[in-house]
Amino acid sequence: MPTPCRTFAWIALVALSCVAAAQRPPSAAPPGSDTIRIPFDSYTLPNGLTVILSTDRTTPTVAVNLWYHVGSKNELPGRTGFAHLFEHIMFTGSGHVPYGLHDKLTEGIGGSNNGTTSNDRTTYFEIVPSNYLESALWIEADRMGFLLDTLDLAKLNAQRDIVKNERRQGVDNQPYGKVTEILARATYPADNPYSWDVIGSMEDLSAASADDVKTFFRTYYATNNVFLAIVGDFDSAQVKAWVTKYFGDIPRGKPVVRPTVSTATLPGERRFSYEDRVQVSRLYIQWPTVGEKSDDHYALDILGSILAGPRTARLTKALVYDQQAAASVSAFQSTNEDVGEFMVTITPRPGHTLTGLESVADGIIERLKAEGPTAEEIQKATAGQELTFVRGLESNLGKAMGLSDSAGLHGDPGHYKIDLQKSMAVTAADVKRVANTYLTKGRIVLSVVPAGKPDEASKPAESTKVTGAQDTPRPEVKR
Amino acid sequence: MNALNRPLSVIVLAAALFSLPVAAQQALDRAKIPPPGKATELRVPTWTKTTLSSGAELIVSEKHDLPLVSFSLIVLGGSDQFEPANRRGLASLTASMMSEGTKTRDGEALSNALQLLGTSVNAGIGGDSGAMGFVSTTGKFAQTLDLLADMLVNSTFPAPALDRLRAQRLVALNAARAQPGAIARRVFPKVLFGTAHPFGQLTTEETLAAVTRDDVVAFQKAYFQPGRAVVIVSGDVTPATAKATVEKALAGWPAGGGKPDFSYPALPAKVPTTIYLVDKPGAAQSTFAIGNPGPPRHTPDYYALEVMNTLLGGMFQSRLNANIREEKGLSYGVSSSFAFGKGPGAFRAGGDIISAKSDVALVEFMKELRGIGGSRPVTDEELATSKSSLVQSLPGVFGSVSSIGAAIGMLRTQGQPDDYYQQYGKSINAVTKADLVRVAKQYIDVDHLSIVIVGDRATIEAPLKATGIAPIVVLDIEGNRK
Repeated sequence: MPTPCRTFAWIALVALSCVAAAQRPPSAAPPGSDTIRIPFDSYTLPNGLTVILSTDRTTPTVAVNLWYHVGSKNELPGRTGFAHLFEHIMFTGSGHVPYGLHDKLTEGIGGSNNGTTSNDRTTYFEIVPSNYLESALWIEADRMGFLLDTLDLAKLNAQRDIVKNERRQGVDNQPYGKVTEILARATYPADNPYSWDVIGSMEDLSAASADDVKTFFRTYYATNNVFLAIVGDFDSAQVKAWVTKYFGDIPRGKPVVRPTVSTATLPGERRFSYEDRVQVSRLYIQWPTVGEKSDDHYALDILGSILAGPRTARLTKALVYDQQAAASVSAFQSTNEDVGEFMVTITPRPGHTLTGLESVADGIIERLKAEGPTAEEIQKATAGQELTFVRGLESNLGKAMGLSDSAGLHGDPGHYKIDLQKSMAVTAADVKRVANTYLTKGRIVLSVVPAGKPDEASKPAESTKVTGAQDTPRPEVKR
Repeated sequence: MNALNRPLSVIVLAAALFSLPVAAQQALDRAKIPPPGKATELRVPTWTKTTLSSGAELIVSEKHDLPLVSFSLIVLGGSDQFEPANRRGLASLTASMMSEGTKTRDGEALSNALQLLGTSVNAGIGGDSGAMGFVSTTGKFAQTLDLLADMLVNSTFPAPALDRLRAQRLVALNAARAQPGAIARRVFPKVLFGTAHPFGQLTTEETLAAVTRDDVVAFQKAYFQPGRAVVIVSGDVTPATAKATVEKALAGWPAGGGKPDFSYPALPAKVPTTIYLVDKPGAAQSTFAIGNPGPPRHTPDYYALEVMNTLLGGMFQSRLNANIREEKGLSYGVSSSFAFGKGPGAFRAGGDIISAKSDVALVEFMKELRGIGGSRPVTDEELATSKSSLVQSLPGVFGSVSSIGAAIGMLRTQGQPDDYYQQYGKSINAVTKADLVRVAKQYIDVDHLSIVIVGDRATIEAPLKATGIAPIVVLDIEGNRK
């Protein structure tokens, strides 16, 4: 799912992290490899703050990443979008750091800063020349400990306006922009916190109060709910001293109560059509699958590469190359902490209908379910993982995010290695099994069609028309 | 990991450690900003230069901390030098056609081979330069390079593949008509440069339809020639092995070609500041692109322009974003930039503005563009922050093999000297406040701006008109007058 963040216009790296942050950490090291790894040191302060340090002296810079275990799934009914709105407020200054100084001590000295919010977690980062690491830690500690000292309604209102513009830019004014929130609502029942998108609704953003900010901060922004990763050119002893100095006396909070998320299954197919201001129709098919806690997501990732991407991938080869019926096809697994989805997207070429494309795609998927992939398909889908991992080692921020994702989601900063080993170990039988387990009749089929052309939908007579998430009927709950 | 260490004495370290418990007991003065440590050093990578037997230049920069190699074959000149006006899109199609098969491998065989090597070869041609390249693990470098060479020298350009790629491009072109940002990206250069200038010529249904297989074959042959190419290898290789590997792989690449002519046609006559309104009924936001043709990258005013633009719209806390986003909440973000290149790349300020406040935003954009030209004096702090933002970002640029390759490549595509990065700080720091005001006035011509706004005409036209800033001309989404 897209990950809103403070801003995306400034540097390519930041732009990348905004959209990619909800994905898993950059795969992992090849099994048995000793040189290709992230060396790190991890410890926990008495107040519960987990600290992860990894030195890399390639350039005289440091990345600092704070991973707060709170996201849109912690929001209350009527307050969708609040976790992300809160992220924005974290950039408005704190008890001892006046507004603007944070930017001056990051972009003003050749570095950068940003924040990202997903369903599961909120991250804040700085990249700075290594001689400015201490001030970066000072800023992060101050907003962790003293945000509310300077909070007022004016700050909240200012960020509310900006976030509403972020929603307009990314959702309301974008072709296909509302697809994510329609699919979330169609897939999950109302009591499942993945049933709304991170950006939230305009109505709920309007409703957020200063008291909401205070309660949210006290509940989730405590040291025992944070992972601090520091990666780059620094001296470990010095940095440990700074971490103790600035973070050590921030009090711990109450234990965080995580939402219970029921397993999502759809008893049957749910079909929708949505008329949007688009020129070209597009078909979305989404199956609820599994989140981080199930190892099946490794095989689902590989399934995505086997179905779409390179010209030899099954859907791509058939629809784009052999039959030339589609302009583009994608297929991938999105893995969140508690849930996941597998999504296939097809954009037709003129003269080809969504109904026809859906039927051809289903035939190809059924054949894969019956036969399973070949050994060569598995080999091709996994061969790029070593390069992807080693290239990830070139970025301090990438490593900081990978280590803190591993620590926050799995309780072990080194979990990235297990991720890689399990991913490299996926077999043809695994892929066949997950395809049969999850790519079932229980799915959402959403056609997005140009306004005034409802007949372009796939099987229009069987599809319910919706105008957005608000009138998309939720799934029935089987208890 | 690289072992070049920032000097940090043992004494300082020990002092910090032992003083810690005391410091923790004393009340920490959180209001005190921690001072920076000793300034970081700029460590510019070194490289060797040689000439390949084909005539192409070879540059090798070593970096051995990770088993990675970045390869790029850069061609000087691009679509603006080599693409006819009635064939816009030909360069891009040609680059894609090089993945469609060679004399010994069809498109699927090429794709399979690259997937098994765990990498991909990318080819792309921009306005004034193009490149083919890849990043691979050290062990896969020679094999991947052999595939790239096969694509470069032995591509067969099958006609059915051209038809498929063309059809895909037509769908993308059509889909982009619904996207306000994509509309602005097409209309803005057309308005600024006109259709007689390559910068104002768009890829359209007509130009795509006109491209034939013969065009592709001829373009590829004429364009990808070693006499105008620079090969850059960075990463886990030595100059000697890199040269031997590259010579062997590119042995079949025939010599020829020279540096292209980078002259550009004259710019259209200046027009008084005008609002060009493209109607997007029901749009929640108005997409703004305000600007004029700018100077080429080699202008002596480059450094002054960089500092000026950083202050105006290059940072989060630049004047434009601080005002229009942070203070007034009209946008998720606005910025400005100069599209520096061999030709007169545009100055552009813009962003997406809530529809109902389009007039307010326009007034603020104009205020800031006039302000930087003198009416709002530059403060010492603004000048210092902009300079340090630019100068101190440089040490972080050389972190990856591909970014090192790109940094070296820029020197060749934009004709900069080899000691450019060593001199960069000095050049930026020499800029004065007077320079800033002078270049702002000279290169942001507030009396002759083109203001392209893609938005809901019914909501925004009357308020925009009421600002009295400029007359309004309504254009269609292709930038033609209605």
